[in-house]
Amino acid sequence: MLAAALTLDAPTIFLSQDGESFIDWLSNSVLLGAIVVGLIVWFARSATKNLSVVPGRKQNFFEAIVQGLYDLIESVVGTHMVARVFSLLATLFIFIIVSNWFGLVPGVGSIGWGHATPNGFDVTAPLLRPATADLNGTLAMATVFMCFWLYWSISEVGLKNFLNHIFGVKGGLTGLMALVLVPVFLFVGVIEVVSMAFRPVSLSLRLFGNIFAGETLLSTMIGLGKQLGVPEWISYIMSITVPVPFYFLELLVGLLQATVFMLLCAVYIQLSTSHDEEEGH
Amino acid sequence: METVSQLLTTFGVAWPKFLAQVILFLTVYLILKKFAFGPIIAVFEQRRRTLEEAQANAEKIKRQLAESELRCQEILKKANADAQRIIEEGRASADAQTQKSLQQAIKDAEGIIEKANENVELERARMVAEVKGEMVRLVVDTTAKVAGKILTKEDQDRLASETTKQLAA
Repeated sequence: MLAAALTLDAPTIFLSQDGESFIDWLSNSVLLGAIVVGLIVWFARSATKNLSVVPGRKQNFFEAIVQGLYDLIESVVGTHMVARVFSLLATLFIFIIVSNWFGLVPGVGSIGWGHATPNGFDVTAPLLRPATADLNGTLAMATVFMCFWLYWSISEVGLKNFLNHIFGVKGGLTGLMALVLVPVFLFVGVIEVVSMAFRPVSLSLRLFGNIFAGETLLSTMIGLGKQLGVPEWISYIMSITVPVPFYFLELLVGLLQATVFMLLCAVYIQLSTSHDEEEGH
Repeated sequence: METVSQLLTTFGVAWPKFLAQVILFLTVYLILKKFAFGPIIAVFEQRRRTLEEAQANAEKIKRQLAESELRCQEILKKANADAQRIIEEGRASADAQTQKSLQQAIKDAEGIIEKANENVELERARMVAEVKGEMVRLVVDTTAKVAGKILTKEDQDRLASETTKQLAA
């Protein structure tokens, strides 16, 4: 079975005989997402089922992850926000990293529907595809985060302070100077709103771009022998050996992208919730 | 707007798939929050409290130990001072007792000497009286023998009286 170059859209798994999909929402990335969710929930439950102060192996491993993430998130958002935001940010990190690494499991992206070609079987609709290699998945995560971000920001600093933080005159200016600068800061506020509106887009496109590129890179490396037209047996060896360094690269990219996504989310929260704190002091 | 729509279509973004991903993510978030992160963080909290209590207890024990050592030192110091005082008192008492015993011994010795002197005086007086009596008897006997006659009672008394007077002189 050959690895196929991914298409930009994640195809629906079930297609009718005339090629029309009849369960629109069930794409290969949703299916893998569901498997990933199942795995995460199964592991988390088995690690936390019998919690004790002196942990077992699974609990210890899970605790190490949670503790590491908790400390990292706390260092960015601060002590006052960490309890509220930790669960979402940790879920984002875990879901993204497991999805990213799941894409490296042999068979993911290379087993599915396709057609025979002179160079072998070409998979055009893989059965499984990482949720992070589908813009629907990354956009969904970014959108959910932005909804929570908006709620947390307003509930933490209040609507007035939140709007003031965006449109208000900064730098402690008062009097005539402040009045003169009001239009400028209103304009800056509009730019800030546009910037905020683009946050889910940038978050989702960055993650999707990196993972999609990684998947494509691996597919290309696996099929490099055939592309170069080398003999069959060399092509076979190349399809195994050439991608190995890129697998390690993708392991690193998977970790980095999960960390970047989570940290950016944490920074956004910190930016919108620390304003009140500064004023309070 | 049409461009955005076209872009989204190109990337395969569609409401059903998007909503399915949202539901999927919210599901894992809610499950992890309720069944994994919540209990784990509670364990962290419990462990932190236990550690804090242990640290507080250790601090308390350390403080108590320091206080005990201080108290012990104070007790030892006081005991040393008491012992020193008792020794001094004992020494003073012994000195006083020695002085008292010495005075008593001197007094006793003086008493003994005085009594001895008195006894000597009495003995001497008794001996003198005996000697005098003997002398009177000798004088009477000698006078009787020299005179060759038996002296009468009155002669004997008179002679004894005269002899006694002469001896006393």
